[in-house]
Amino acid sequence: MPNVIVRELRKQYGDVVAARGVSFEIERGEIFGLLGPNGSGKTTTLECIIGLREPDHGEIEVAGIDARRDPRSVKRHIGAVLQTTSLQDKITPREALALFASFYDDASRPGDLLQRFALLDKADVTFDSLSGGQRQRLALALAFVSRPELVFLDEPTTGLDPQSRRELHADIVRMRADGHTVLLTTHYIDEAEQLCDRIAIIDRGQIIASGAPRDLIAGSTMYQSVSLVTERVLDAAALDGIPGIEDLAFDGTRTTFRTPSVSRTLAAVLQRLDARGIAVTDLSVRKATLEDVFIRLTGSSVD
Amino acid sequence: MRASLQHLGVSLKLHYRNKMALIYGYLFPLIFLLAFWVLYRYESVPLVRHMGELLTVSVLGGACFGLPTTMVSERERGVWRRYRLAPVSTAALVSSTVAARYVILITAGLLQLAVALAAGMPLPRHPAELFAAFAFVSFAFIGVGLVMAMMADNVPAVQALGQCIFLPMLIIGGVAVPLASLPDWAQHVSMFFPGRYAVDTLQACVNGAGIAGVRFNLLALFIIGAGGCIAAAKMFRWDSQQRFSRRSSKGWVTVALAAWVLVGVMAEYRGRVATQRATPAPPGPVAATPPPARTTPPPTVATTAPTLSPEETRALSTSPSPPPREAPPRVNAPPETKPSANAAPQLPHPVKSSWQEVTTDDIDRDLIFDRLPADGGIVTPIAPADEDPDPEVADHVDYIRQMLPSWQPGKAADPVQRVRNLLYVAAVPDVQQAQIERFAPHVVYERLQEDIPKDQLIKILYWIALHPTDGDDSAVDQVWALRFTSGAIDMQQVRDRAAIYAVKLLGRLLGKIPEG
Repeated sequence: MPNVIVRELRKQYGDVVAARGVSFEIERGEIFGLLGPNGSGKTTTLECIIGLREPDHGEIEVAGIDARRDPRSVKRHIGAVLQTTSLQDKITPREALALFASFYDDASRPGDLLQRFALLDKADVTFDSLSGGQRQRLALALAFVSRPELVFLDEPTTGLDPQSRRELHADIVRMRADGHTVLLTTHYIDEAEQLCDRIAIIDRGQIIASGAPRDLIAGSTMYQSVSLVTERVLDAAALDGIPGIEDLAFDGTRTTFRTPSVSRTLAAVLQRLDARGIAVTDLSVRKATLEDVFIRLTGSSVD
Repeated sequence: MRASLQHLGVSLKLHYRNKMALIYGYLFPLIFLLAFWVLYRYESVPLVRHMGELLTVSVLGGACFGLPTTMVSERERGVWRRYRLAPVSTAALVSSTVAARYVILITAGLLQLAVALAAGMPLPRHPAELFAAFAFVSFAFIGVGLVMAMMADNVPAVQALGQCIFLPMLIIGGVAVPLASLPDWAQHVSMFFPGRYAVDTLQACVNGAGIAGVRFNLLALFIIGAGGCIAAAKMFRWDSQQRFSRRSSKGWVTVALAAWVLVGVMAEYRGRVATQRATPAPPGPVAATPPPARTTPPPTVATTAPTLSPEETRALSTSPSPPPREAPPRVNAPPETKPSANAAPQLPHPVKSSWQEVTTDDIDRDLIFDRLPADGGIVTPIAPADEDPDPEVADHVDYIRQMLPSWQPGKAADPVQRVRNLLYVAAVPDVQQAQIERFAPHVVYERLQEDIPKDQLIKILYWIALHPTDGDDSAVDQVWALRFTSGAIDMQQVRDRAAIYAVKLLGRLLGKIPEG
């Protein structure tokens, strides 16, 4: 049975529709990613699920509980890292964990969480002296105070340095190993591809594709990227009329394009260049990535 | 409960780690106390008449600035949003926030009280009732602070809103400026502000009759506090993205305002506009500020055996070296005399039984004229003879000049009582800090010289200076006929000031003080 069920979720702010009929399910023990550009409705969807926002319409079930009817019960089963949460400047990690632990009947011990999230040596320093990575680890520790069955992470790695990001990725993978269900929103495609068992691509408040990353990529294998370097600079006329070339671009002597039929198109290109006496000095073909899928589906870059 | 207690503890810890919060919460109230101490340095017992104002300022600052600043700042940072993810009720978290604020307020109040005691103020007459009154005052202002926290979208907005409440309350709300010195319209406006009720209630517990006499004030404070709490609960918001202007619940702010209006209307209906405070608790004789003195070395005490109220006697006897303030002029006395509640000091010369027996030697021996409060100061001011008052004040001066000959208390059969009554015409506006205070003494002086032969006037002024607590003070109730603000007034202060004016006018009469 799915651990999270969202059906026909709608949320509107004035004239802006942030979520229009969002539906998906998350299985127990999987990492599910909501991938989309800024303003696509990821955060609104997540905040409706965890009870921070009241949806205009739709059904939400979390851990078998109707989240709209009984949000307080849902809160006993979840932990969350919000996109904009901060704490008071002068609170220490130990105090923050003790405070949040007092909110739950069965809470983790602050000392255990400090150890698990590598904060023992920072346990008694104030929040304003923690680094960005340490703050995010503390936010994760706070999410785990409640011994949650489900963990909701809203763009948890945004703004982190590469090292902190790698450490956080390791933490998220460990959550799955420990049996937690994770909903992760992100606009980093590589993060979604690397961490998530399944993803849903959301754009303008709608889910436009969902599935395992490899399945989404496989569904668009007809498109492969070709990059070639020539001894002379080319122009569009040089490759004019060759079928299957899309997204043609020139950068000095480097020419790139995407094609659904790499063998046929590449053969035609090489034949044309040879006929014109233009030598190719480098050639590479790359299969489609999640980013290609994303760009094809949304028509825009995520960053 | 566990969550509330833990949150209370964390809130207090965070407050005491915040230097700015400590400055605003504890240092500022002490600065106010110091300012009041300096401002009212001529009063016989330091600060006792102003603890209501001082404690109110502390609560006002802590509840209407400190509380909403903390809440809005935490909301802006997303702390309250994070709390909302936990299965803990809003009421539990807000209650612990309010409880923490109350602890902060009461510690600030206790600190103020301790410093005031160290400065020579006697213990409050009704300490237990003072705690109860403080709770009511805190409740009222915390209600106001919670409404502000819900209205303000960010911390600068808290500061702006706070100033909108703080400054009017200080100036025309009866908190920092004596109501008696305000025009009628301001006194009416003050009835709609909680500050007035707060000051009166606290003051009644410090040196008045306790809370039994200020039940209406307690009701007013409760109504204002309850209105604020209800409105804030209905307008509560976790998230800084929920802007006040876009909230459908913003109309609840009218409930908080309605509470203020209701209280004001009730007060108007009950005719409570006249100033009520600062009347020391009856019964019994009031303390006298000993009249002007002349000696330099020895400790100076009253020679007229004034009967002191217990706390003022205690204050005097336990503070032989009062804080560095300009002592009011005092009568010469032998070094060995000490004030006592049981025994009057021994005089070095025979006690005169009547003002007619006063001699020039008595005056020369007992009074000095070069240590009087300055004419340009706050206490017993007298304008230079060549200074023209503002037109409005000049009209009032002329009116008094015309009315004084027919003013009933100014025609008392007993010449001493008559002079005493006329001196009250100068003393009352001085205590009220009315605009005319610097010019009234001139009119009184003219009238005295017209009405009383000089040789008699010299003796009578000396007599009044040495006997400030004698005689009848009902004339003060009739100053309304001279277009002074009516209402209750601190009679002890009026008598003190009348005694000082007696010496100042006597000095002029004898040529010891220049007329100009």
